Amino acid sequence: MVAKIDCMKNGYLVVPFQLPSSDKLKECENALHYMFVKKHQSKSEHEQRCLFLVNLPLLTHSENLKKSFQEICSRSNTVAHISQLLHYDEFGLNDVDLSSLTSDLMSTGDAEEKRFTPRNTALLQFVDDSSLENAWNALKKYSQDSQDDKLVTWSFRSPSMETFINFYKPLDTEYLKTDIHEHMALFEQREAQAQEEVQSSLVDEDGFTLVVGKNTKSLNSIRKKIFNRNPLLKHEKVAKPPSMVDKKAKQDFYRFQIREKKKQEISELLKKFKQDQERVKEMKSKRKFNPYS
Amino acid sequence: MAPLKRTAAEAIEKEEQRNSKGASIHKKALIDAITTNEEEDLRGSSDVDEDGYKSSAESESTEHLNGHGHRNESDEEDEENHEERKTQAQSKLSTQDVQIARETAELFKSNIFKLQIDELLQQIKLRDGHILKVEKFLHKLYDIIQQVPEWVEKDFTEVETYFKDKIVTVPFVDPKPSASTQYKFNYKKPDVSLVGSFALKAAVYQPQGSSIDILLTMPEELFEKKDFLNFRCIHKRSVYLAYFTHHLSIILNREKLSEFLQLDYEHFNGDPLNTMLKLSCKPTGGSSEYNFAKTKFSINLIVGYPYGAFENKKLLPNKNCIRVQEDKTTPTPFYNFSVLSSTTHNHYLKYLYKTKKQTEAFKDACMLGRLWLQQRGFSSQISHSGGLGGFGPFEFATLLCALLSGGGINGNKILLHGFSSYQLFKGVIKYLATMDLCSEGHLQFYSDLNPSATVPTSKYVEEGFETPTIFDKTTKVNILTKMSTNSYLTLKLYAQETFSMLNDVVRDQFSNIFLTNLNKIPNVKYDMCLDLELPTHSVLLSKFGPLEKIRFISFENFLVNKISNVVKLSLGERIKSFEVELIGHKIKFPITKRKPTSGVNFSLLRLKLLVNPSECEKLVTKGPVNSEELSTEAIAFKNFWGKKSSLRRFKDGSITHCCVWSTSSSESVIISILNYIIKLHLAEDARLNSQTLKQFNDLLPLPNLPSSSTTSVLNLGSFYNVRKSFDDLYKVIFKMQLPLSIKSILPVGAAFRYTTLCQPVPFAYSNPDFMQDVILEFESSPKWPDEITSLEKAKSAFLIKIQELLNSSHSNYKTFFARDESIPYNLEITTLNVLTPDGYGFKFRVLTERDEVLYLRAISNARSELRPELERTFLKFTAKYLASVRHNRTLENISHSYPFYSPVVRLFKKWLDCHLLYGHLSDELIELLAIKPFVEASPFLMPGSVENGFLKILKFLSQWNWKEDPLILDLVKPEEFEDNFGSEAGAVSELDITSVKKLSENLTLQQYKTIQSNFTALRKSDPQGLNLQFFVASKNDPSGILYSSDVPLPIATRLTALAKVAINLIQTHGLNKQTIDLLFTPALKDYDFVVQLKSPTPLRLSSGVLDSQGFKNLSQQQNKFPSDLSELSEKMDPTYQLVKYLNMKYKNSIIFSNHCHMGVNGGERGDLNVITGLIRPIFKSPLKFKVNIDGNVKPIDKEYVELNKEAIFHEIAAFGNELVTKFDIN
Repeated sequence: MVAKIDCMKNGYLVVPFQLPSSDKLKECENALHYMFVKKHQSKSEHEQRCLFLVNLPLLTHSENLKKSFQEICSRSNTVAHISQLLHYDEFGLNDVDLSSLTSDLMSTGDAEEKRFTPRNTALLQFVDDSSLENAWNALKKYSQDSQDDKLVTWSFRSPSMETFINFYKPLDTEYLKTDIHEHMALFEQREAQAQEEVQSSLVDEDGFTLVVGKNTKSLNSIRKKIFNRNPLLKHEKVAKPPSMVDKKAKQDFYRFQIREKKKQEISELLKKFKQDQERVKEMKSKRKFNPYS
Repeated sequence: MAPLKRTAAEAIEKEEQRNSKGASIHKKALIDAITTNEEEDLRGSSDVDEDGYKSSAESESTEHLNGHGHRNESDEEDEENHEERKTQAQSKLSTQDVQIARETAELFKSNIFKLQIDELLQQIKLRDGHILKVEKFLHKLYDIIQQVPEWVEKDFTEVETYFKDKIVTVPFVDPKPSASTQYKFNYKKPDVSLVGSFALKAAVYQPQGSSIDILLTMPEELFEKKDFLNFRCIHKRSVYLAYFTHHLSIILNREKLSEFLQLDYEHFNGDPLNTMLKLSCKPTGGSSEYNFAKTKFSINLIVGYPYGAFENKKLLPNKNCIRVQEDKTTPTPFYNFSVLSSTTHNHYLKYLYKTKKQTEAFKDACMLGRLWLQQRGFSSQISHSGGLGGFGPFEFATLLCALLSGGGINGNKILLHGFSSYQLFKGVIKYLATMDLCSEGHLQFYSDLNPSATVPTSKYVEEGFETPTIFDKTTKVNILTKMSTNSYLTLKLYAQETFSMLNDVVRDQFSNIFLTNLNKIPNVKYDMCLDLELPTHSVLLSKFGPLEKIRFISFENFLVNKISNVVKLSLGERIKSFEVELIGHKIKFPITKRKPTSGVNFSLLRLKLLVNPSECEKLVTKGPVNSEELSTEAIAFKNFWGKKSSLRRFKDGSITHCCVWSTSSSESVIISILNYIIKLHLAEDARLNSQTLKQFNDLLPLPNLPSSSTTSVLNLGSFYNVRKSFDDLYKVIFKMQLPLSIKSILPVGAAFRYTTLCQPVPFAYSNPDFMQDVILEFESSPKWPDEITSLEKAKSAFLIKIQELLNSSHSNYKTFFARDESIPYNLEITTLNVLTPDGYGFKFRVLTERDEVLYLRAISNARSELRPELERTFLKFTAKYLASVRHNRTLENISHSYPFYSPVVRLFKKWLDCHLLYGHLSDELIELLAIKPFVEASPFLMPGSVENGFLKILKFLSQWNWKEDPLILDLVKPEEFEDNFGSEAGAVSELDITSVKKLSENLTLQQYKTIQSNFTALRKSDPQGLNLQFFVASKNDPSGILYSSDVPLPIATRLTALAKVAINLIQTHGLNKQTIDLLFTPALKDYDFVVQLKSPTPLRLSSGVLDSQGFKNLSQQQNKFPSDLSELSEKMDPTYQLVKYLNMKYKNSIIFSNHCHMGVNGGERGDLNVITGLIRPIFKSPLKFKVNIDGNVKPIDKEYVELNKEAIFHEIAAFGNELVTKFDIN
């Protein structure tokens, strides 16, 4: 193993944890987990007194974080009170918030909602500034002088068989019903509100009210713009059907048209011929003409 | 253009009357130039006399050879000139160019096809150096032959004594002449000439080497008129050859040539009556200047009779020329052909040469034909003793000649002299494909050499002889005598296949026609390859009596004929064609021996069948209708089938003789029939080995259903039950009164298209495919919420309504709701799961017209770095909700026309799951990959067994280059050849064909081109296919990326690699128990680490899979759902969830795989599984530390980190705490 590294170049403390030995993994005893920690700086009110954590162990939650951090602090004889773990999305379930991307109706208008941290990172918030300072100093000390045999042991919380099996359990219908009911009630209220806002706000300087239909959402121009977003369009060229004008226009009325057409045909033929020659040349270079391969 | 072309052709034909008629055509001038060149050449080198191009025997051979050298050069020069002219023209005159382009587009299929043919012909040309080398030896050989001393007449005993102390043995055929033989034997100087394709310069390069035929014609003075009778001329030839061989070897020794030359006897074209001498180079010969070892040529010295030596009328196929006692009626067709064809070698050479001179593209067409035949395994070898044969380059060329002078029903010309090589080739293929030369008619032609204007034309005569016939009225030879009926049928099949390919205007079929060798793996070419063991031949030998001896000449011919008849009669429509192969059949033997073997000339029989998938599993073999008095057919039927024959009354009231067979899950009906019939007709102890077929069938998981082991693999009954259950439910739901009425209920689950790995078994809910997806659409409404979460909730509300109605009116249905994770990031989807009283499950999801808009809006609103992720989500949605309906409908529709598709795709799924790939590929993608050998079978035929279909998928995957080739599938029903082209040539006009084409649902050229350009555009941005390997498009998905956009690169390449390994294994070791087992053994060592899992609950039985021993009584079938539906979860696969979450957590660093079907691949009880981990390449080396690194890493210095494998292993062990049994780190 290379010399101990306590701090990365970009200021992250390296916090090692001893992993509990597992009877299924005889080959790699003494495995360590490395967490990277930095003080978090943010203007957001909600993110004061935070440590920024990178690379959290499996199924981390505030309880086992608390336990481990307390142990580290106790080694420096200090205490730090952790309030909560923020923005941790271990399995990337909320990487994308489809709801807010499709409509702003359901958003709470909270900045919190749009906040996200990169995968495998989280914020750890402390109760007060001194807790944060204590913890930071303790971590610093721990990462600097901890020997391999004196590391804090991380304890995993293993899911039971039940946990896996429960994924297959049917949803509780009653719960589903109330959930839908509540959600739809809220949604309808919001929608009505939004509708009102739109209609009331469209009063111009002269006092005329602009009348907007109820279904602004299906305006054609918007629709078209959205449909152009279809990723399949990038991969599918759709041949345009000839328009009525094209169909009606005569292609062979003037002499020059016929002449031009002939010219075009010939040049196309020639172009195709050249292309084919190129293709065969290429195929030849790839040795595609060997009947005995 | 057509009339113009004809004048051109006619002008060429009537060379004498060269006038200005078609002079404007640039091509004609070229031909003239070549022909005059050639003529001058000939004139310059030898004195050409009237009837041919050679004079005396002496000068002929040498001059001929000289002529070759010269002409060769001049030809080449000419070609070069031509090329030069072409290139010059291209740079200067574009009009010239345009003309070429136009011409080729018309004369050839398309420009590219012509260019490809040109290129191919260049490739297969004999190398000039090799020709010079071997010609040098040929000159020498000619001189040596002249030195063989003449003999004086000897009688039989003198001959015997002469050869007593010699090394060389006389290769007498059976029966050997008796001591009392009256006639005399002799040797006089032969007339030596070069014959065969080398002489015609239509020979092609073959990697295994080509042979040069030299004809030694015995002088006429050695024969008497009646010598064609009773083997006389044959014996005379044997002695002649032995004497010649003896002296040749002496002279070769003297000339020090024997140090590199090897002399062997060989049966010419496998004909035991015609032994020839083969000269070949020893692999380690001396360094003589004459050594031509590196050219790989061998030289056949064929001994022939002078043309017209015997009265050819007496040697007609129906005449008797071997007299057994007083019998003068039994026809001896093989013998007659052997004698007669020995007189005509030179005649046909002249005939072909004459046509070659008249037809510019003749040589090229012959070369194409030769290659085509070779790739399909056809040769000039006699096919009556097994193999595909009787139709080699010579027969192709002769047919070509015959068609140039007629061939139609009224003697109309099928081919014209001015045709291009492609047109000539296509014409012959079309003729073979559409005209029946066996039972419905035959072709007769005249091989007259006199260039008079009144040459009778060849003509198709509607009178068949039940043997393939192209009859030469001039020589009285049936060119196809060497061809057996089944060999002919196979040829016709391939011709039809090729003709369809030649008519394909959409795809480039060039390589399928000419470049693919079909013979590489017999199990791929044939649907069934069966070894037939006949431990004792005695019974059969005893049947090989004197009459059979003169009819069939050899026991092998007799046996193959017998087996062919039995197979043909017993299988009838069940097969398309077949081949009998004699393994270990020798035709080459040392000059010290009289014949190849003393006993039976083979060690093993192999039956190779091309199965007719729609007929093969029929239970009843129908015979003639029963009548009061047994008709002759009825008696024949009863005799043939023995005690299996029985009387049955059919639905229409008729009582018919028939045989009834039983199906089995592991054995085809064909095998049962053969097993029965060979014992009855060949030998009691005959044994048919169908082990590999059985093994493949047995690899399909057997459903835990009553009588499943006696259900054919083609039986879709279990799937129909699901469908039926769905239809009942459909009716119930459709009738419901809902706030919005239902527009459609669309089934999309894989069981609806018969492709689930396990057959559906009622109440077998552990099977991951148990729940069948159904898509529910309501009448359109503007009221659907315009926000995705609310939209999903609204959908759920509708589903709840349906559930309530269903519960109140039909309490025998059980229902529950479940979260659906099929669309990433949409966590609100719920499905209504309905369990039917029949024991099946359906999963309803709602599709609205708003969904698509919302997903698209999400893309346009998203930050740019999120967009790819959202686009993937959109593709998932499209695949799951929109395309799935089309996919299911198409596959369900066409799979009935491809009977073996269902079992084959299911076996393929099992193979994928064995190799842990199944979880990474969508069902649709797998099904599309698997259907390729079915919808695009060419150059092979549609698979007719599970084994064959499966191997063809592997072969296709092993050879497909995803980087360069888009897979474009035309998902339509197969076209019957007759539908398309009519059974009679000319019955369907070109017009009809085009109108039929218009109505068909095939891909049009325009659609095909669009898809191709989609692919080109895709590869332009990603030439190596790093983002997307598989481009699989069809009419349903012209983008080609719908199902494959989320396949990780390592998985895609692994699939190709595994298929390559599999095909390699089969190619080197053949198919047997071990190799098949190996095919289905996962290579766990290839992964970075492997975690063994064991689940507390075995899942095999609850997945509806019968255990491997198949003890039905012990396997308790589940017959109801638990009353508390939450108990369902107890028999579900926990490992699936574990792997799902692992893949989510380590998304960017590791790919985890596992068996998805624990019930099938999870050991005896279905409770074992593995997780394999493949570390993504970027994490294999140290990385710079960044906040968004997203991987469990450890620091190695202040800047760099690497993947912390140990910690990850601990995490996995902790995660799957109760499941993990063992860790293997590779």
